Amino acid sequence: MIKITNLHKIFSTEEVETTALNGIDMDVKDGEFVAIMGPSGCGKSTLLNILGLLDNPSEGSYEFYGTEVAKMSERQRAQIRKGNIGFVFQSFNLIDELTVYENVELPLLYLKTPPAERKEKVEAALARMNMMHRRNHFPQQLSGGQQQRTAIARAVVATPKTILADEPTGNLDSKNGEEVMNLLSQLNAAGTTILMVTHSPYDAGFAHRIVNLFDGKIVTEKVHI
Amino acid sequence: MLKNYLKIAIRNLTRNKVFSLINIAGLSLGLTCCMLIVLYTKDQVSFDQFQKHKNALYRIQVTMPEDKGTRTIGSSNAVHGPGFKQEIPEIQDVVRAQSSSFVVKKGNELLNEDILFADDNFFSVFSMPLQYGDPKKVLTDIHSIVLSEELAEKYFNTKDAVGKTMELKIEDAFESFVVSGVAKNCPQNSSVQFKAVLPFKFQEARNWTDSEWLGFYMNTFLLLHDKADYQVVATKMNRIFTRKLNEAGKFDDHAKHITFGLQPFLKIHMDNETGDLRNGLGYGSSPIYSYILSGIAIFILIIACINFVNLTVARSLSRAKEIGVRKVVGGLRKQLIYQFLGESFLLSVVAFGLAIILTLMTLPTFNELANKQLSLSYLLDTKLVAGYLSLLLATGLIAGFYPAIILSGFSPVQTLYNRTRFSNKNYLTKGLVVFQFALSVCLVIGTIIVYSQFKYLTSKDLGYNDENLVSFSVGRGGSSKLDVIRQELENMAGIRTVAAFNGNYNGTGAKIGEKEISFGYIGVDDQFLKTLQIPVLKGRNFSKTYPSDPVQSVVVNEAFVKEAGWTDPIGKEVNFEWKKQKLHVIGVIRDYHYASLKDTIKPLLLTQDPSYALGAIYAKLDSKDIPATMKAIENLFRKHIPFMPFEYKFEDVANLNRYESEAKWREMITLAAILSIFVSCIGLFGLATFNAETRIKEIGIRKVLGASVTGIAALLSLDFVKLVISSIVIALPISYFASNIWLQDFPYRISISWIYFASAAILAMTVAILTIAYQSIRSAMMSPVESLKRE
Repeated sequence: MIKITNLHKIFSTEEVETTALNGIDMDVKDGEFVAIMGPSGCGKSTLLNILGLLDNPSEGSYEFYGTEVAKMSERQRAQIRKGNIGFVFQSFNLIDELTVYENVELPLLYLKTPPAERKEKVEAALARMNMMHRRNHFPQQLSGGQQQRTAIARAVVATPKTILADEPTGNLDSKNGEEVMNLLSQLNAAGTTILMVTHSPYDAGFAHRIVNLFDGKIVTEKVHI
Repeated sequence: MLKNYLKIAIRNLTRNKVFSLINIAGLSLGLTCCMLIVLYTKDQVSFDQFQKHKNALYRIQVTMPEDKGTRTIGSSNAVHGPGFKQEIPEIQDVVRAQSSSFVVKKGNELLNEDILFADDNFFSVFSMPLQYGDPKKVLTDIHSIVLSEELAEKYFNTKDAVGKTMELKIEDAFESFVVSGVAKNCPQNSSVQFKAVLPFKFQEARNWTDSEWLGFYMNTFLLLHDKADYQVVATKMNRIFTRKLNEAGKFDDHAKHITFGLQPFLKIHMDNETGDLRNGLGYGSSPIYSYILSGIAIFILIIACINFVNLTVARSLSRAKEIGVRKVVGGLRKQLIYQFLGESFLLSVVAFGLAIILTLMTLPTFNELANKQLSLSYLLDTKLVAGYLSLLLATGLIAGFYPAIILSGFSPVQTLYNRTRFSNKNYLTKGLVVFQFALSVCLVIGTIIVYSQFKYLTSKDLGYNDENLVSFSVGRGGSSKLDVIRQELENMAGIRTVAAFNGNYNGTGAKIGEKEISFGYIGVDDQFLKTLQIPVLKGRNFSKTYPSDPVQSVVVNEAFVKEAGWTDPIGKEVNFEWKKQKLHVIGVIRDYHYASLKDTIKPLLLTQDPSYALGAIYAKLDSKDIPATMKAIENLFRKHIPFMPFEYKFEDVANLNRYESEAKWREMITLAAILSIFVSCIGLFGLATFNAETRIKEIGIRKVLGASVTGIAALLSLDFVKLVISSIVIALPISYFASNIWLQDFPYRISISWIYFASAAILAMTVAILTIAYQSIRSAMMSPVESLKRE
């Protein structure tokens, strides 16, 4: 379902040109759980952003479920992103002015889901993440773990085929981190493809496959049996 | 989705109280100003529109030569209208109107009222509806009178005063007039204004009217037939005028240059050049005030919109995460633009609601300032509501468009990884701040100049002493009681000197050698110069020891001597050819400002000619216990003239009132300056707050490295101070030229000094520094641990 070939990403400013990704080839199958690892600055997040259609590669091909998306405009990428990809960030990225319920509801609003169905889906996602009792709270009123569970609820509410997680446990203590990883595993077990960037070998242990990046290139790949 | 946008917008408004307050305060002030101006403009546009014959009505206008160029007046006299109608078939109707002041009895009280004499077709030609009475008949009887509702209430405590009798003093006795109709009070957007109307026929029956073709002192309105071309009618009028004067043997050099014209009725209200709004006309308006008021309102709204743009863009970093999240979960740029525009509209709606309340609250003050009687009922007019809604839409769009474009353009990758940074250059924000302050500095300089000029006008030496100088009339055309009143006043405690004069300065012309000159004249007694403290420069004053003075002598001012071209004026002849009278100059007085300082001092002639009967008195009072002296004068007046109300004026107050329009300028520009400085400063405060917040880490690091509070406060303020300095540099030349243009209209004016500009610059700088200082010092005093933790 995801196939990238000879992917490059170069960031240019007036003074410097930085190569973040340097000829990446990678396939991700439906229902797979892939962890991307590597030292800081090796291009992990850049790769995840391109895979998540938040950014375009400078060069190379990217096929998302059979569609070439590498040269698409922001508008076209947004259309594909909607409903197909869910995101989980290290810093949660919840909107401070919206309650837990409203944050989770947001993707469905952009998908124009009818109100009754929306309510049903949001409540189901919150129940799954064990966040129903906090539905009317604002993000600042929650613990880190609760915030990340809300973010995961938001990522799954539209039942996307793929979830991209960028260091989802990076801001959490070990107990909450464990909980988040269990949630991601459950989602994966239910059929959702998960691509996760992480520094933590422990978290990477939850994945089927670990891809190691260094200086914008894949240096090793390890498959868990 | 709309609900979601609304929630976010409302929560943002309530969370960021300072920013919301700044935006709402600024926008509501700007909108209030604009709403008042829309009301004002609507009033201007609606003026006289209710008149049924508005497009077929004209006023006779006369253009005559003056010293320099020509002058057009809206006056004619009693013979013109009927004379023209007799020979010009396009004229359907003629209405003459002339005001006069009458003493009216109300029980034992005597009151002065301005009453309009008008032809009996007045109420059928003009759409001035009658509450009671038949428009075609109310002025047919010469002893009838039509009252306005206001006057009917005043004299009879009822609007239905038809059939009641009013006593008016006609010459030396009271005569009865029967109320034949009651007219609704004249609308405030009407040029035709009256409180009571008497039949013009009454004047004619008493032979008060002038049958002279060369005379111009009343209004004549013509109602033309539908298809008549008013310019053709004017040509015919001129032909008739020439013929009539030729027949009377009066078509001389002066008359040859007089031309008649017709002023469309709808143009009267705004026609400043013709003016002449008297004899049943009132409420003229100068278009310049409309322009200035509109300009000020738009400026304030623009400054408020600039605040909105600057603060929203400045705050956009704090919205960056939300923008990123919305994009990640599928929000399109278009949707984000709508969202941010929606927020600016929401803010505009709140400001709009507040502005409506403010408009209602400030309307009375505005009416006073703009010399209007704008009414709240205007607010219900559909066009006005449409105008206000457009204003709301325009404000929302102007304020919200740029921030919406900028904010919606953020890249999700940059925002979600906190990589969004603002370039320190940010030329637009800086440019807008400079623009705001330049505008405010211009207005502050304008205020200082207008204040200084006003002070100059009201404190300049007039050439005579108007302090504690009171004047009052003892009867038009003189009074047999004048001498006895004057004598008793002279002996009254609290009065220094007393003089008699004929009431008004008038204009005339005479020959000096072969040269015809125009000048002002006034009839005076021998105490006039002493009472007004006007020095005689050459020759002598009038004196009782020269009994021939009244018939032989005149006193002139320096301007007269100059105009006549005399080097040795004493004994020179002034030849009044038209009344076959030759008078000789016995004295020259120093020029004094007998008219407003808005005019140069014109040649003036003082005479004791008995034909200019002395009907008014000047009394110079002691400064102690003026109320007691005035009471004594009133008692004396009532004893000798029981049938006239005692009305007096203090000359210094009257002089001050001459500068009413300058006083209005002063009020308007002061208000504009205060509002613009205020709105600019709250914007600057917001920017300074934002600036301090975004530099919190830098402040912490600098403090750790040993920077002092003063140093950091100065660092934070410096950028803004530079902007304010730039705006001052831009504002100075602009305001210099604008002030110069305004001052050109005054023959007596202040010279523009650098001090005005320096004080405005210092004021703007001080206000700006005080605004920034609070935030800068607060941030500078924050503990570095706190600053670094917050980042």
